[in-house]
Amino acid sequence: MDDRPSEPDGFRDFVEARSNALLRSGWLLTGDWPSAEDLVQTALAAAWPRWEMLTRQDAPELYVRKIMVNTFLRWRQRRWNGEIATGRLPELQAYGDAFAQIDARQALIAALDRLPARQRAVVVLRYFADQTETQTATAMGCSVGAVKAHASKALARLREAPGLAELMTGGVAS
Amino acid sequence: MTTEERQLAEMLHRITPEPPRPVTVEDIAHRVARDNGREPRRRLTARRGWAPTLAAASVVVIAAASAGVATVLTSHGTHPSGGGTPASPVSQSASSTPSSASPAQTAPGGTPMRVADGVWGAELINRQSLDQESLTGSGDSLFAFGHGSLARIDPGTGNVLRTTPYSAPLPGRPIVVGNTVWVVWSYSGGDITLRGYDTRTLAQVAAVPVPAIGGVSSTASGVLAAGPDGQLYLAAGDTVATVDPAAGRVTHRIYLTAGQASSVAVAPDGSKIYVGTGSFQLLVYDLGTGVQASSSRMPGSGGNLLATAGGVWGTTGSGMSEWVWFAPGGDLRSSFRVSQGAGGGLASLPSLSGGAVWIGGTHELVCASPATGKAMVRTAIPADQGIVRYFGSVTVLSSGRAYALYQDQRANLSGVAALTPPQACAG
Repeated sequence: MDDRPSEPDGFRDFVEARSNALLRSGWLLTGDWPSAEDLVQTALAAAWPRWEMLTRQDAPELYVRKIMVNTFLRWRQRRWNGEIATGRLPELQAYGDAFAQIDARQALIAALDRLPARQRAVVVLRYFADQTETQTATAMGCSVGAVKAHASKALARLREAPGLAELMTGGVAS
Repeated sequence: MTTEERQLAEMLHRITPEPPRPVTVEDIAHRVARDNGREPRRRLTARRGWAPTLAAASVVVIAAASAGVATVLTSHGTHPSGGGTPASPVSQSASSTPSSASPAQTAPGGTPMRVADGVWGAELINRQSLDQESLTGSGDSLFAFGHGSLARIDPGTGNVLRTTPYSAPLPGRPIVVGNTVWVVWSYSGGDITLRGYDTRTLAQVAAVPVPAIGGVSSTASGVLAAGPDGQLYLAAGDTVATVDPAAGRVTHRIYLTAGQASSVAVAPDGSKIYVGTGSFQLLVYDLGTGVQASSSRMPGSGGNLLATAGGVWGTTGSGMSEWVWFAPGGDLRSSFRVSQGAGGGLASLPSLSGGAVWIGGTHELVCASPATGKAMVRTAIPADQGIVRYFGSVTVLSSGRAYALYQDQRANLSGVAALTPPQACAG
């Protein structure tokens, strides 16, 4: 007998269409794929039983992103252990230009690791997920003013991150 | 947005990589079931196994009178090559947790059942849908992929003894080195990950990230091979990476002169490595020096390389069927076709086991000489009322018994079959 829970209508279409984008957001939040997968799966599993209501409100993605961000913030509170991320992994420097793309990713994640969790979440929602300030505020459960403040502080920190200015003005192609 | 904000947004979109695999509804269902306090299904039924593949395929058998064989036309099943993505486990913690199959969970082995009119003494020892060409054997165990799991199977009873979450991103078999079963965990974009599992418990014992310089090939198949020295060789973009299983890291790379590596095979004596690229070029490298020894081409696709003492074997698509060829000395200019392997959306990869090369498929079972590429025995696989039957992934255990994956679509039968090959296959 199949004991899997029944699949909500439209859930599969959403997962197939949006899992890529959600995973990439998850990667920017967490810095690695296994954690990103865990984050996305957590959010989608939370959305599953509420799917009908979410689709009626035309807000499944907003809800999923909200769960992702809140889960990420909770993880950061729980998991942060005082490590300070280095700028890059030392082994990558020996391989020359072929690893430039990987170096760029490492530099980006290292720069994001320097941000407090809420600033990082704002960067991902506003500048990668293309959410408005209002949507970002809704997802994070804070005011629009707080979103603006987090964004401003994050930009100031990223400006000082090693190698990131070059990436923002051109840098390595994906 | 300010200019700086736009630059940040553009940079984030440009540099953020594509994920190695998608999240699937099955992953979520698994997690929802777990969160509800129910364990998900553990029985092995293929999600990307052959049964759905065949069910989706329209198979038409046309008697090719001139050739004297049946040609199978079908909507060919596609491999998720290149951007291949395994279905992810429910979570990291779950991904590393093997399951001990209790009797209730164990797929029934039952009494062996004679199948395919008893060709090569074929007896089905269990009833499972497993990913085609995923069977391999080592010691006293069989290993195969199916339904998002790597499974260890008891060849005596056909029972699944252990499983661990895994879904193959590419066609291919697990590779057993010592006490570790190695699989390609992810294979997409610039990122490859190998994982190793204990051969007895299937507990994860290693995870090795391998950057694919230049990105992985879009025609990848048969990307992982083991050398006689126990080292692993992996097609990794514009390179072939050598992975030391003991150290769990890349120790060396061969930078290819042409294209991205789509398939690799290592000569049994460890002297050469054969690398397939593009459509289709075979590069031969001296493993000792890393220097390219030769290259040759053949028209069309190629892949799934297998190296033996006399040369290299591979597959090629011909119409809707796969052919298996042999290139003496690794020179495609003198290559010849050994067997018409498979139709019906199925693949037929040659395997080296028990001193012979085995080729299954939907047409014939073949054992061939590893030295010359010549077939030693060919036996037609009888169709079931006009619908093809399939044997693939033949492997011979140290006990001398041979096993293969079997499918009879008309009779809705699939599983692991025990075979008794003709004595002539022993060489």
